[in-house]
Amino acid sequence: MPNYIRLKAFGMLAEKIGTDSLEIENPGSSEALRRLLLEQFPALQSLTFRMAVDRKLLQAETDISAGQEIALLPPFSGG
Amino acid sequence: MEKVRSPKNIFVQGPILPEKIAQSIANHATKTDIGGHSIFLGQIRADEKPEGKVIAIEYTCYEEMALEKAFEIREDIFAKYPLTCMHIYHSLGEIKVGEICLFVFTSSKHRKAAMQACDELVERIKAELPIWGKEILDSSATQWKVNT
Repeated sequence: MPNYIRLKAFGMLAEKIGTDSLEIENPGSSEALRRLLLEQFPALQSLTFRMAVDRKLLQAETDISAGQEIALLPPFSGG
Repeated sequence: MEKVRSPKNIFVQGPILPEKIAQSIANHATKTDIGGHSIFLGQIRADEKPEGKVIAIEYTCYEEMALEKAFEIREDIFAKYPLTCMHIYHSLGEIKVGEICLFVFTSSKHRKAAMQACDELVERIKAELPIWGKEILDSSATQWKVNT
């Protein structure tokens, strides 16, 4: 079974990446994913963002399994 | 019997109309154990930025996560305050200056619970819901809103 994860990007991050969703090979952990993203999209280096795994905000680094939905979240600005 | 609550939609496409707010107030007339309502309305402000004046804000969200989180906040607030009712509505899409984009409505037997719960809800909505506002300026430039 291919080891892919689904990435969703929102707000300013979707603009910088150029899409709001993409599928990538699973780098295995949130730390590795962050490194990969900053390398592939240098425009993200100046931005603050958090990640959610399966719709839960990450509080600490974690392992990522195939098929999980990872969201890249810029600072919230609702209201 | 304890009422079982389930996640409900909080999003409205476009502005929240004053008529909807009036209707929502009217809907509570039959709930005669209520002694006080507290309402917060967020309105789009014409901020002056170096790049131009704000004429609208376009809201987007991570809907599935926002609804799960809104439900969690709702349950927390219901557990903390003796409320009779709680309603949350947030706009999506382009909302023009002067229009309403957030409507939070709490009701209780006595005023303090409704007022404190309403205040806490607004703070938590702004801090914890994955919603983003993009400010549209009169120079046709755009910039992402930052909550203070």
